[in-house]
Amino acid sequence: MYFKSTLPLLHIQGGGDEVLKFLMNRLGQSVVLLLIVTIITFFLINLAPGGPASTMRMDASPEERQAMIEKLGLDQPIIVRYFDWITNAVQGDLGTSFTSSEPVIKRIAERLPYTIELTVFTILISVFLGILFGVLSAVKRGKAQDHVINFLSVIGLSLPAFWLGLMLILLFSITLGWLPSSGVGPRGADFDLMGWISHLILPVLILTTTVLPNIVRFTRSSMLEVISQNYIRTARAKGAKESVVLYVHALRNALIPIITIIGMLIPRLLSGAVITEAIFGWTGIGTLIIEAARGRDYPLVMGVTVVITVVVVVSNLLVDLLYSRVDPRVKNV
Amino acid sequence: MMRNNRWLFLCTVLISLVLLAACSYGNEETTTTSADSDRNSESGPKKGGKVTIPIIADPTFNPWHPNAYAESNVINRVIFSGLTQPGKDLLPMPDLATKWETSEDELEWTFHLRDDVLWHDGEKFTAEDVAYTFNEIVLNEKLGANNTSNFRLLKEVQVVDEYTVKFLLEKPVAALPAYLSLNTEIIPKHIFEGKDPWELTSFNKEQPVGTGSFKLKSYTSGQNVVLERNEDFYGDTALLDEVEYKVLADANTHVAQLLSGELSIFALEDLSAIDRIENAENVGIYARETPRFFWIIANQEEEKYQDVRVRQAILHSIDRQNIIDTVLKGYGTIADAGIAPALKEYYTDDVTRYDFDPERAKELLAEAGWKDTDGDGIVDKDGKPFTIDFKIGIQGDLEAISQMVQQYLKTAGFDVKLNAMEWNAMVQDVVVNRNYEVSLNWWRYPSDPDLSAYFHSESVKGFNIPAYKNPELDKLLDAGGQTSDVAERQKIYIEAQKLMAEELPYIFLWYPQEAQVRVDKLKGVPELAFGDALNYIHEWYIEE
Repeated sequence: MYFKSTLPLLHIQGGGDEVLKFLMNRLGQSVVLLLIVTIITFFLINLAPGGPASTMRMDASPEERQAMIEKLGLDQPIIVRYFDWITNAVQGDLGTSFTSSEPVIKRIAERLPYTIELTVFTILISVFLGILFGVLSAVKRGKAQDHVINFLSVIGLSLPAFWLGLMLILLFSITLGWLPSSGVGPRGADFDLMGWISHLILPVLILTTTVLPNIVRFTRSSMLEVISQNYIRTARAKGAKESVVLYVHALRNALIPIITIIGMLIPRLLSGAVITEAIFGWTGIGTLIIEAARGRDYPLVMGVTVVITVVVVVSNLLVDLLYSRVDPRVKNV
Repeated sequence: MMRNNRWLFLCTVLISLVLLAACSYGNEETTTTSADSDRNSESGPKKGGKVTIPIIADPTFNPWHPNAYAESNVINRVIFSGLTQPGKDLLPMPDLATKWETSEDELEWTFHLRDDVLWHDGEKFTAEDVAYTFNEIVLNEKLGANNTSNFRLLKEVQVVDEYTVKFLLEKPVAALPAYLSLNTEIIPKHIFEGKDPWELTSFNKEQPVGTGSFKLKSYTSGQNVVLERNEDFYGDTALLDEVEYKVLADANTHVAQLLSGELSIFALEDLSAIDRIENAENVGIYARETPRFFWIIANQEEEKYQDVRVRQAILHSIDRQNIIDTVLKGYGTIADAGIAPALKEYYTDDVTRYDFDPERAKELLAEAGWKDTDGDGIVDKDGKPFTIDFKIGIQGDLEAISQMVQQYLKTAGFDVKLNAMEWNAMVQDVVVNRNYEVSLNWWRYPSDPDLSAYFHSESVKGFNIPAYKNPELDKLLDAGGQTSDVAERQKIYIEAQKLMAEELPYIFLWYPQEAQVRVDKLKGVPELAFGDALNYIHEWYIEE
């Protein structure tokens, strides 16, 4: 049940020195992970048939193609190219995008905030509603509320995000005209609060359906297990009010594994964001990496991969740290 | 209980926020339209208003940049100008150049330029800009600039005086003015001189400077490009205030936004959406001719396709009209040779026809030695069945069309294996490596009948992808490409079309028509394909 605690790292008992050791260990692991991910990605994208879009035009003459290939350094062997890339990357230079001749970092920095916007709202809403419905479901176990919530969860898990997204656009944007069909809405000088919200509603809704059912079901089972514990029976026997029993004693303990689940859902959220962003023309790094892969923009693909991997690693680290604060039986720090 | 009330309150707040947002979004549309209709009390072109056009990716504001594709062309055509532009009959007419003439031997073309043109940053446009564009960008092979293959016979561009340039050619190129009218815009020397033209992102990705009827107002990556009217334009000042290009990667979104009023005009790619658009109010569909033709190519390096009777049999087996009616929803006319009806001056339909005639196909195959000797439904010769390795790239309607073609060919006795590849991968396989037997695709070419690049034996390494070599056709194409005498060229190209129809260097399928969709309130758009109509964007206007 508390699977995190099977990892040897987490049994280190507290102390400042131990904090450092833990973080160093983690850093080492993360670096190795990053390296492996970059190697796999680099070879995969370079071995894909075809090449950078500018070299793969129907109307480019062979001379134009050759000139482009030389300019982009693609006439070098793949291992040499990987070494060039990695030596630059560790110094912070993620290279220049093939498709726009701008620094990769600039392109990512332009788009990353939009993805963060989407995922933060999704996490907030999913956690809030997930815990709410999960608790409700556990408390009313076997009753109507439980069945309804369970039914909706299964539907949410089963419906493919792209289909649901297109259906909602058809309903709310085309038929009813209530919500915009795509885009992030006016920003900068023209920013308008209501416009912003109206553009956020559908993408956040779709992205929520990819993670909310999991949180609900997990909360429910976690809650059920906790409620059946002895100390809950004791609290009730001591005459505590039911709401105190639920929210002070039970939920707090049930929350612990839920924190883990949220950490594990972050990669799922990021990959779901790719699909959601594509449907809604949401200009985040999801659409960026799709464009980059299609156009075989190798530096951009590598750059986005690195950023996403770092995000996943860091968020898992934060979840682990939070977990150890919350559960006194587990001491990382 | 207290707790329940708190949840209830929170939920109510959330839901009302959502509803408010939805309502305000709906209202936005109505308020703008009522303001506009107050202004228009008289009829006729009025100044003002905005046009919104979809593009599928971020553009590059440099017509010569190797990354400038279709989404860049529709913008660069508006903010930059070329020496010539396509007239409303598609023949080249003056733009930055007022008139031009050739020397006796047609190896020198003199272009006289306008003296009243200002760049968007206020500098004067001169012959130096033209010379720079061609000498430093187009003719610099190392740069690999776009669209330069049309100029491989250009030696250099000389500055005669401030407003006159000379194009020096190695051999006569009658199509030169036509080549100069498509995606051949001039870029400013005073900004690019001494810099790497592909790395200058301050221009290419941020603030381009052109001479066109609109100039850049703002650009947000992944979102939109907004142009505003250039009040100092050398031609008629534009009527529209602004042009917005919205970046929408998904073609389905284009149709959705057209119907909800967020887009004004574009060329429809997905013809299955035609019914939905026909039923909508405020939106119209217009069929437009384009100089494009769809073709099948059979690799002439493969022996079995070298017999013209085999190529003719393939064409007789395919019911092209049916494919046009079903997949293209009728937007196309059958093609028999590679010069499209849009080129009215040179097109002729007095050529060999290939009706849908499976019997005739069988006869031709038999004559070429292919018969179904073992009764398995596949024709064979010397014990070997006729297999076709049919490779296409997935884009637009190509897959749907190819599947129908495959069915027709199978009925005719060919064993067809259809390999629908990712576009990028297809280009590498078919176009770059010539690793294919049969493929299906289309070409678009500038409004000149000179198709040497696609049919001449010297272009085998270039765009003559089927590697077709016919000295007779070469002679005709050479003659037609080197004289600018229109009557002379008409005779030559009629003969060329007859020969092409007989020999089928490309197996001609059809000339597609563009399905142009446009909101009714947008007026002044000439009856040209969308890409060509953009040259007249200064004439477009909004009438509510």
